[in-house]
Amino acid sequence: MFKKGIGKFEYLIYVLPVVVLISFVVYIPFVMSMAYSFTEWNGISKAARFVGIENFKLIFTEDAAFKSSAVFTIKFSVLFILIINVLAVLIAVMLDKKLHSTNILRAGFFIPYILSLVIVGFIWRFIFIQGFQSLGEITNWDMFSWSWLGNAKLAFWSILFVSIWQSIGFYIVIYIAGLQSIPYELIEAAIVDGAGSVRRFFSVTIPLLMPSITSCVFLALTNSIKVFDVIVSLTNGGPGGATTSITYDIYKEAFQNNTYGYGTAKALVLFVAILVITLVQVTFFKSREVEI
Amino acid sequence: MNKSKKSLIVMELVLLAAVILFLYPIFLVLLNSLKSFKEVMTDVTAFPAILHFENYFYVWNNINYPKLFLNNTIVTGLAILGIILFSSLAGFMLSRTKTRLSWVIYIFCISPMLIPFQTIMITLIKFLNIIKLPNNIWGLGTLYWGFAAPTAIFMYHGFVKSIPREIDESALVDGASTLRMFYSIIFPLLKPITSTIIIIDVMWVWNDFLLPLIFLNGTKESKTLTLAAYTFIGQYVTDWQYTMTAIVLAVIPSILFFILMQKNIVKGVTAGAVKG
Repeated sequence: MFKKGIGKFEYLIYVLPVVVLISFVVYIPFVMSMAYSFTEWNGISKAARFVGIENFKLIFTEDAAFKSSAVFTIKFSVLFILIINVLAVLIAVMLDKKLHSTNILRAGFFIPYILSLVIVGFIWRFIFIQGFQSLGEITNWDMFSWSWLGNAKLAFWSILFVSIWQSIGFYIVIYIAGLQSIPYELIEAAIVDGAGSVRRFFSVTIPLLMPSITSCVFLALTNSIKVFDVIVSLTNGGPGGATTSITYDIYKEAFQNNTYGYGTAKALVLFVAILVITLVQVTFFKSREVEI
Repeated sequence: MNKSKKSLIVMELVLLAAVILFLYPIFLVLLNSLKSFKEVMTDVTAFPAILHFENYFYVWNNINYPKLFLNNTIVTGLAILGIILFSSLAGFMLSRTKTRLSWVIYIFCISPMLIPFQTIMITLIKFLNIIKLPNNIWGLGTLYWGFAAPTAIFMYHGFVKSIPREIDESALVDGASTLRMFYSIIFPLLKPITSTIIIIDVMWVWNDFLLPLIFLNGTKESKTLTLAAYTFIGQYVTDWQYTMTAIVLAVIPSILFFILMQKNIVKGVTAGAVKG
């Protein structure tokens, strides 16, 4: 019925603009990336030299920077996903109780999320360097005199901590929405059955929260695997490359070392990795959701 | 009963203390933006003897704040306009026509959600040079039309399914041309999802860093607020009082936006996350 009403021309008016726009910013560069990943190209000269799979060979055999950035990114992502989701669920459960200040508390946790990540990095650079010095003098606590950005091990935890600080409010908000959609009768039934609060949490709340957990783990994964902005402003990848993530490594390869061909090869490796992880994760979590 | 009430109060107090501690760094930034260099160096936590508003005059003029604010508004406004205009049309049409072609185009449109920006950014810049897209804020704004389209189309596509078909069919029978029908009848019905998309994309485009960094690379005239703050702080690394002022100036628009739109933002990101 509806189809008769629209002609080919009108269909084009609706659909063609986005097809062109998406092709221009995503598909054409993507195809170009595939082509350039087999070349040696400095980005300036017109001619890129074809080198076959040499770039990919280098990445997996000799490139220590790639290996360390991959290890950093995996470690960061796993810890980020775990910690932020556990903390967010716990805080959300507390905020879901009938408190007087729920709205203020929720807004408070959410505020860092609306700030640009680069700026958040700068805020914490100030706190770690200048603020901790003053706090150390006031409290005499040892931890304030540690080199949170200068020591390779500590710098990792600093990046992780700041990233969680910035986005935990977002996850709390999603979990609160998820908790509110759990019918109270189910909780009540568990109480009648004599389940304690810990038991209720693990046997009723968590299974019913699974759709939200799926979304949040997925979002935490896609965001953490691409961690970039915070690193730029907080540690600049240092000390000695210890906090260089894969995305930052790709950025440096292309825009600082001018090894564009090699950089695109790394970028494609990242794409394949993300694709595989996403597909595995979606199939794994979809099978665990329960229906009410 | 009384015991559980008591523990609830204790929990609330603990949470309040946690939030205060959580936001303390932001307070320290604000505090130190109003101090002299010496005061920042002696004690970060102390209050200034007098409020050094001259920090703000200095940074305001140095980075040309009004110009940056205008730039950000143009980029964000232009981006949002195009995103909503093009994605709503496509999302609606692809959802309503159940042909094989529409399905293929729909998959084509949403697949880029799986491609990280870093995978294509290097050749993107090369390609944009070839097609001579101007390296300014206007060019930057139009880039988001394509980058935001996959998610926006995905969300519109899903939402349109919840609108009864009878509405647009009756409009067609009345003889309204489809584009006019779309804007007078369909588009108003899409308002909930449109506002979700606007909220999510405003927060993204306004704060975006990497795309402006590599696309506007080096041009002095056109910078975004985040980009300018980044360069300014890079130059004034140790002048903490100025870097703190730059931070405050950079985040004030976001904070005001949040205070004014808090309910919508929370609703928007929740809807976006669950559907996206």
